[in-house]
Amino acid sequence: MFKKRREKNDPASPNRMMLRRTLFLMIVCGIVAFIALGARLFQLQIIDHDMYESAAVEQQLRQTNVPAQRGTIYDRNMNILAMSASVSNIYISPAEIKMNKEDPAFIASGLSNILGLDYAEIYEKTSHTDSWYSTVARKVEDDLTERVRQFKEENNLTGVKIEEASKRYYPYGTLASHVLGFVGTDDHGLAGLEYYYDKLLSGTDGRIVRATNAYGTDMMFTDFEDYYDAVDGQSIVTTIDETVQHYLEKHLDEAAVDYDLQDGAAGIVMDVNTGAILGMASLGDFDPNDYMTVSEEAQERISTAMVDTMEDYDTLLAEERNLQWRNKALTETYEPGSVFKIITLATGLDSGAVTTNSTFFCGGSLNVLGRTDPLNCWNVVGHGNETLTEAAMFSCNIAFTIIGQKIGAERFYQYIRAFGLFDRTGVDLPGEAGSLWWSDDVFFNKANLSQLAAASFGQTFTITPIQLITAVSAVANGGYLMEPYLVSKVLDDEGTVVSQREPTVVRQVISEQTSRTCCEILEQVVSGQNATGKNAYVAGYRVCGKTGTSEDVNYEVEHGTKKYIASFLGFAPANDPQVAVLVLCENPGPDSIVGSAGGGSMGAPTVGKILQDVLPYLGVQPQYGEGEEALVDQRMPRVVSKSLEEARELLEKNGFVVKSVVGSGAAVTAQLPAANAKIAAGSEVILYCGEELDKTPIQMPNLLGLSYEIAKIRAGWDNLYVRGEGVMMNSNSILTVRQSIEEGTLVEPGTVVTVTLSDSSYAATART
Amino acid sequence: MSSKVEEMFMYDDTRLADYTYDNSIDRGTVDIPFALLTLVLLTVGVIMVLSASFARAYYDPNNTTGGNATYYFVRQALFALCGVGVMFVCSRFPMGFYRHISGIVMLVSLAMLVLVLVPGIGEKVNNARRWINLGFTTFQPSEIAKIGVIMYFSALICAPKNKLTGSIKGLLRYVIVLGAVCGLLVLEPHMSAIIIILVIGLVMLFLGGLPLRWFIGGAVAGGSLLGIGYALFPYVRNRFTAWLNPFADASGTGYQIVQSLYSIGSGGLLGLGLGNSRQKYLYLPEEHNDFIFSVVCEELGFIGAMLILVLFALLIIRGYWLAMHARDRYSAMVGAGITTHLAMQVILNVAVCTNSIPCTGISLPLFSYGGTALLLQMAELGIILSLSRDIPEKR
Repeated sequence: MFKKRREKNDPASPNRMMLRRTLFLMIVCGIVAFIALGARLFQLQIIDHDMYESAAVEQQLRQTNVPAQRGTIYDRNMNILAMSASVSNIYISPAEIKMNKEDPAFIASGLSNILGLDYAEIYEKTSHTDSWYSTVARKVEDDLTERVRQFKEENNLTGVKIEEASKRYYPYGTLASHVLGFVGTDDHGLAGLEYYYDKLLSGTDGRIVRATNAYGTDMMFTDFEDYYDAVDGQSIVTTIDETVQHYLEKHLDEAAVDYDLQDGAAGIVMDVNTGAILGMASLGDFDPNDYMTVSEEAQERISTAMVDTMEDYDTLLAEERNLQWRNKALTETYEPGSVFKIITLATGLDSGAVTTNSTFFCGGSLNVLGRTDPLNCWNVVGHGNETLTEAAMFSCNIAFTIIGQKIGAERFYQYIRAFGLFDRTGVDLPGEAGSLWWSDDVFFNKANLSQLAAASFGQTFTITPIQLITAVSAVANGGYLMEPYLVSKVLDDEGTVVSQREPTVVRQVISEQTSRTCCEILEQVVSGQNATGKNAYVAGYRVCGKTGTSEDVNYEVEHGTKKYIASFLGFAPANDPQVAVLVLCENPGPDSIVGSAGGGSMGAPTVGKILQDVLPYLGVQPQYGEGEEALVDQRMPRVVSKSLEEARELLEKNGFVVKSVVGSGAAVTAQLPAANAKIAAGSEVILYCGEELDKTPIQMPNLLGLSYEIAKIRAGWDNLYVRGEGVMMNSNSILTVRQSIEEGTLVEPGTVVTVTLSDSSYAATART
Repeated sequence: MSSKVEEMFMYDDTRLADYTYDNSIDRGTVDIPFALLTLVLLTVGVIMVLSASFARAYYDPNNTTGGNATYYFVRQALFALCGVGVMFVCSRFPMGFYRHISGIVMLVSLAMLVLVLVPGIGEKVNNARRWINLGFTTFQPSEIAKIGVIMYFSALICAPKNKLTGSIKGLLRYVIVLGAVCGLLVLEPHMSAIIIILVIGLVMLFLGGLPLRWFIGGAVAGGSLLGIGYALFPYVRNRFTAWLNPFADASGTGYQIVQSLYSIGSGGLLGLGLGNSRQKYLYLPEEHNDFIFSVVCEELGFIGAMLILVLFALLIIRGYWLAMHARDRYSAMVGAGITTHLAMQVILNVAVCTNSIPCTGISLPLFSYGGTALLLQMAELGIILSLSRDIPEKR
């Protein structure tokens, strides 16, 4: 009965409906679904291929950074101002510590011992077991790194990692800190040259690109590895001279102490012929090795400010940091005051508005068109009749107002533009501020000459110190406005010169003849009779210059007290100017050693001292005028073991006097003061022939307020000797204002005390 | 054992006047295309297990292989050899035998689904008890339950008194058995097995002649169940959001999918070449298991992946073709059921890998690593080969 097959409607064989439904399933599951899946695959693999591939590659490739060595910053004599040394970052991989079953407590204690870090902190880091990178210490020096490496290798710890990094060193500490700037933790410049030349200095980091598995280790059989070599940064040779910079900072520091400067000081030393900046400083400064730390005074200001919240404290700290990082010579604008008369003078002479034969009358005040009240000269009595040179010497505001009006507003602004005072100088440092001047329509107003009047003696506009010294350098160097610069050469990592910068002449502003005339006049400002700039006098050098005292108007509105900026711009020598120095003493306080806060009493002596150090260093030979040499301190010759006669002869030849001879021997056995001591000429020397030196301590006498001659005599009474600094000039207004050893200090006989001489005449202490 | 249960599962229908038990005709040879397709796919699958697994086996992040790169491959290859033997053996048994033991297989499946829930017998992995450890190997009772449902439903439908006319009473025993299986799977829990078994059960009822209106009603019920699940269980919701935008949480819930898409996408047209997958280096999870197809796509490209899909499609079409040409109704039902099971696994697995449906753990037949699952698949295919032997040659 089973023989027959597939009978219709046989319940035992598949019926039609079943076959239909199976066919339906076959079409759905065997064809339609696969077409859909194929379409989906086409979308993923063909259409979106690139997107997924790049995403996959990104996660599969791991990059290891090979840091490029940052370039060195040299001064112009190839002294290293900033350099990088390789150090290491120590980090741990908590995930690998867990994976390889390493003991986190052991690792934490080992690392905390070697690196001197907190155990608990490191231990806590090991607990983030999904992390592959957790920094333990940054910029670890070589010796410690070596110990960590030993610890890692001895105990076979894969979870402890060492990564190459580099650290920036500034061997001279605070020296030129504002010029150099500093680098952040990522080794990129944040300020100064480090920032400006960051691209050049930092080079290009190298990379190792590897295909890795998801755990960051190798990918078997796929030895894909690509190396991109690091290109080390280039080095730069700056125009900064370490020695000049040192002198500049030293004398600014002294000024800050002597004149009790509340807001620090700023200074620039520039090669007038090239525009190269030999020194640039701003006080208070900071140590770029540790740029986040503020000075003790700032710390004290913060702690006495009685802040309520941590946030306020941080704000104050940030303010102090910004303050100490600010390069005032570049980023701060101020009213230059009378220093600017150099520009007015040069403009007047060059434009023909005045000549050396022009004369002016100053009655103490002058009515100016557009002013309701008359304009006063700083000398209310008036300077009377004066020549152009005298107008400059006395810094007469009335005379310069007249010069300004003779020039005329339009021509005045033409020269200002030519001197580059409307534009930034383009010096290669970040953050240079721009100047602020009256708009043309105000300044050119024929019915109101008050703006022109004020501008001719340096008021009612603001410029930066770098603009001013650049413009004055043009007056000094024959009329050529130079572009100031700091980097003269770029070197590659092997020291080969890649590029070299030649001095850039922007334009000739005034004629060489005008320049020479200006130098002659400005020399008189320092060396002339009753001149205002006498304190900048340096024996043996023909110093030119101009004083300036500016008042910060905004400060008075804010604080209620006056704030002065006592400045001086000097250059030398007059016959062939080489170097210009601008110094700004900001906000002299009540504890100043000189009574009046003025450019002549504070700016001029500081510039004088700087020039006194810098000029000989730069190889400018002193040329003493008549009688000048006698005023110069002399070096004590060595006369010990010479016969008495020989000694006497030698001493007298050097301009010394033998005061007494102790003992009766034939030869000198000891001398007072010691050989090589530099002391005032004409000092009286004591010779010992056979007797022992008397070493009984003596109290230092008060030597202040005396002329140099009297101070020498007074010291001589106690067998002490003086040497002078400051204005070494014979004049009854030049008196000692400071002595290096305080009155009452016990000293040995023969001690040399340095006294500072300053012109305390009416003109030299005027606020002009 | 109560008489009800006996009636349900331990029936003796060997004396039924049915073609399934007709042993008067000699059985022919197995269907060569189907057998060949199976062997080709199995071979490719084992090779892909080697390629996909050696990175994980070598790095051994879970401390199972001892760093032996061929750990998974060797085991899979051995099981594949056994699997071929099992397929051969299964093709030798007459279809009447299968029909006769259908109820017992179902009963054994249910028993094991209960056993797996017993702590100590069932192994708990990732908060689910799905595995029974036999000492030398582990297996999932749900795999047996799939065959159980196919065989048992086929047998029931072929029993003369069980016409699927659409009466609720007639449906009741199917619903009870399916409900029991799914209920036990919920307790494990094992979502993907529930889906597959439900689909298989419905397909069996569909083939058995259940009127279409039931399916429309069933679709509505299923849809609302899904909606309720979506509303009630954050776990389900997460699956859906991860499906819709896996990149939103590429390192969390979307990780598997994102890695799978990276693998498939970076394969491109021609792929990175056999053995050159980069994603298998511990980026792609389950790379030799549920996501082995992603490695296939990455290494063999669109061309290679499509070739394998075409082979699967041919195997499935051939399976249905054999079912349609089966000598008897039981064979047709079992053949279509097993083929549907195969098709579901393949389609759902590839759909998950390509993020075409929400992620759920479904293995790819003949490819995914897993010994007992492979043996059972080979057994199922062996049953199809067995029924193919009863198809009379064309005259």
